[in-house]
Amino acid sequence: MVTRRNKFRIHKIDTMLMRMIGHSKGQFFAVLTIILIGIATYTALNMTSINMNNTVETYYRENNFPDLFLQIVAVPSQEAERLKSIEGVREAMGRVVIDVPLVTENEKERVNLRLITTTGAETELSRSTLIKGKMISDSGSEALLIEQFANARGIDVGDSIHIQVGGRQHTLEVTGIVANPEYIYLMENVQSLAPDDRKFGICYVSEQFGRQAAGLSGSFNEILIRYDDNAEEEALIDEVEDALDLYGVKQTIKQKDQLSNAIILQELTQLDTMANSIPILFLLVAGLILMMMLSRLVKKDRIKIGVLKAIGYRNSQVLMHYVKYALIAGFSGGSAGAILGMALAGGMTKLYLDFFNIPLLRIEFYYSFLLYAVLLSSVFCVLSGMIGARGVLWIAPADAMHSEAPKSGKRILLERIPFFWKRLSFSSKMVSKNIFRNKKRSLFVLAGITLTYAMMLFTTSMPDVMNQMMNEHFREFQKMEYNISFRNPVHQAAAGDLEHLIKVDYMEGKLEYPFELTNGNKKQAVSIIGLDRDTKFYTFRDVNGEKIKIPKRGMLISENIANALDVDNGDLVQVKSYIPNREDVYIQVQGVIKQTLGINAYMDVDTMGETLLEKNVINGIYANSGDPDLYEELIRASNIASVMSVADTRAVYDQYMTMMALSIGSMVIFSGILGFCIVYNATIVSLGEREMEFSSLRVLGFSKREIFFMIVRENNGIMIAGLLLGVPVGNMMADYSSAAFSTDMYTLDMSPTMNALIMAAVYTIGFVLLAQLATYRKIRKLDFLQALKNRES
Amino acid sequence: MAILRAEHLSKSYQMGEIEVKALRDTSFEIQEGEFVVILGPSGSGKSTLLNIIGGMDLPTAGKVFLHEEEITVYHERELTEYRRNKVGFIFQFYNIMANLTAEENVELATEISQNPLPIDEILEAVGLSERRDHFPAQMSGGEQQRVSIARAVAKNPEILLCDEPTGALDFQTGITILSLLRKVNRDMGKTVIVITHNADIAYMADRVIKMRSGRIIDDHINENPVAVEDIKW
Repeated sequence: MVTRRNKFRIHKIDTMLMRMIGHSKGQFFAVLTIILIGIATYTALNMTSINMNNTVETYYRENNFPDLFLQIVAVPSQEAERLKSIEGVREAMGRVVIDVPLVTENEKERVNLRLITTTGAETELSRSTLIKGKMISDSGSEALLIEQFANARGIDVGDSIHIQVGGRQHTLEVTGIVANPEYIYLMENVQSLAPDDRKFGICYVSEQFGRQAAGLSGSFNEILIRYDDNAEEEALIDEVEDALDLYGVKQTIKQKDQLSNAIILQELTQLDTMANSIPILFLLVAGLILMMMLSRLVKKDRIKIGVLKAIGYRNSQVLMHYVKYALIAGFSGGSAGAILGMALAGGMTKLYLDFFNIPLLRIEFYYSFLLYAVLLSSVFCVLSGMIGARGVLWIAPADAMHSEAPKSGKRILLERIPFFWKRLSFSSKMVSKNIFRNKKRSLFVLAGITLTYAMMLFTTSMPDVMNQMMNEHFREFQKMEYNISFRNPVHQAAAGDLEHLIKVDYMEGKLEYPFELTNGNKKQAVSIIGLDRDTKFYTFRDVNGEKIKIPKRGMLISENIANALDVDNGDLVQVKSYIPNREDVYIQVQGVIKQTLGINAYMDVDTMGETLLEKNVINGIYANSGDPDLYEELIRASNIASVMSVADTRAVYDQYMTMMALSIGSMVIFSGILGFCIVYNATIVSLGEREMEFSSLRVLGFSKREIFFMIVRENNGIMIAGLLLGVPVGNMMADYSSAAFSTDMYTLDMSPTMNALIMAAVYTIGFVLLAQLATYRKIRKLDFLQALKNRES
Repeated sequence: MAILRAEHLSKSYQMGEIEVKALRDTSFEIQEGEFVVILGPSGSGKSTLLNIIGGMDLPTAGKVFLHEEEITVYHERELTEYRRNKVGFIFQFYNIMANLTAEENVELATEISQNPLPIDEILEAVGLSERRDHFPAQMSGGEQQRVSIARAVAKNPEILLCDEPTGALDFQTGITILSLLRKVNRDMGKTVIVITHNADIAYMADRVIKMRSGRIIDDHINENPVAVEDIKW
């Protein structure tokens, strides 16, 4: 008696499976693609996230990134040492920070350089990493330049740069190019929106030079602190602020709020959120498709299943035959996705590191992710397969040999509305009946199209939302062309002196100072801006969109402050000054305003001076000017700290938007693939199920084209419903994202615009039509007459 | 010696509000090596009977014994083992797997049976050696039924159960298939049970059981079975 030739050969039931896959390769690859995208995203984003987190952490550790930054009016050098005696302070050091204009060949160009003093010691907090050249000596006019700025401006070691300090021009010799953890993301301030490496840079100079430039002999204007591992942050900050109170603490910035770090943290959090949500979404869709396909396949294979059981195959073996289909999809899609994800992870991490300018490169391949990813997709698919194919278990071999009794026909909902139903053409009635006949599948396609449209809507809304945000802020909320800040406050009357220097069309004085607003135990550091009550540069609107003016007494606060402090109209807010020997003042909130960019409070400039600072002072002006030499003139003036041009800010933003277009494009394609696969698979399944029906129609004289268009009409009916449903779902996604992506720096209102509604609809319809065209091939190839003969169909 | 014994078999099932009695108190014995034809019109209960003896269905009452072992007390798993090793099915519409070749269809069955016969010999015996690599779509109905027979026989079962094996075939091909079944019965010593509504096939049987309305109305030994070639319908 004979027997098996080879122990390791493929079982015939598996051969059958492989051929089944080959037969439905279009559907199989559609599912595979979704799994592949999901798992590639999972692997790439997770590995990038881990690599980025590790790199940033190592970089911070190796370069002694501070836990706390305190901006102070002036603190004597020895005070920094004394802070070390406070419990929880491991390290403390002082430095001088001053923003100065860089003198360039193009005199109209506005370039700011932040001078920061450095000792170059190994133990220095916020230590720079030397990329090129050598560190500076203790004195003299040597400087280290931050890499992004040096690269952007083509400055190299050995070059000289010229800066304007206090009305005088100084020359610095660049001895080295450095990177610094504090400026991984090189932004001048919160209002900058995006880095502009040509317009803003960091320059490390000796303490001697820095002090001289800032006019701070023997003092620092910034203190950096590192905590002990188990330090209590809030208590420690209180104690440090108390110790430095005498010297005027202007602002206390925790590590998490430090501009560059805050952006990186936000980016990493978004990366984590994406790493865990996108893959699940894709796997869910893949799982649903598999369920639908297998449940259909089991119904179609009823006799085959009966025969397998009659031959002696166990329930579990037959079930596994179908589950293996899902497993193969999960395993192969997962493996290919994991490998692709790994390949992408290296590139993505490098892209991130380049973008953020981190000199360390710690790309590690976590091979365990290969395993996780494959396991994740396999388990997901096997579970979907089991649910989809569970019908195998209820098929009794004896019953399977008989044809299944036809389902009893039922009236659909529309038929109960005779007014509507009577007016439909015969073919429209058929299409409507077909949509309602298989509710589960119609719902699945509906959900798929809704999801696709919602995702498209969300994605295509982004540029509009950003544009709208910019327009709202820079055209409606603020209208000035220049924002000029003084180094020291001046009397209001002195503002007119500027008109001797530059040609101004219109200008208003402003008073802008940082304060800490407190309500109970809730605190928020903000800049309060004092303005003319009749300011022409600002238009304030309350949360209901009604115009409001700056009150004579009290203040207006932006919505994000109101939320952070949990205060509303009429509430009193404690205003704590960073200037020494100032009593805390209580000011009433007179209005909560909408402000998309930044976090500010606004007061009448006179009241603000009186209540919080000095009478009749201003520390800057807003101006509209057509003067081409404005910048060139202003940087020569001794009391000008900075000149910000709104046009420059917008230009940076436009550049940023070009970069964004790439990621928007890829999101549109991803969403489209989802829609394509859902519609393609559902249509193919529907075709298989209705072979007999279509064959009968063919016999009646319907052409293949007519049958195709019948299916197209069914899908289009569902698509229209999907698009309509997609609007509220897209809105919900937008609301969720508005909350998730809004930060202290900006408040996003992501409500989709009409343009986005149309574009998203065009893309969605495009992908759905493409999917239907792909099924047309199948319809052409279907042998309808054979189907009529086939007992299994 | 009886290979199969049925005692007071009844089977009823519900169809809507009506209770259908497919089998009513049916008893019989089949001897080892017999070629049995169970004859009856549609709805006589012959298919139900075949399903119960084949371990594909359970009776409402009564018992079935194979070699004195009661199979009607078997659970799902034991019934599967029984179908796997003790019986082979041949169906009216062949029911072979469309995406497997002739040889692979046979292997599908031999792979799970305990004591399979050599595939090459079986394919040779059913006259399909030359067509072993063909898919069902490339074969005629008769050839497909041969694959079905090969698949059933290759498992080396004790009984072959054939449900209208010639029902979908033309006369000439039907005769060929019946000859093949007879050959399997005679040469391999397998007990063959054929259910059919075609009374002419009964002439070739060793035993004929006639059924009507769920009951056996006649069970007799055919003293002079005719050669298959002599049957006509």
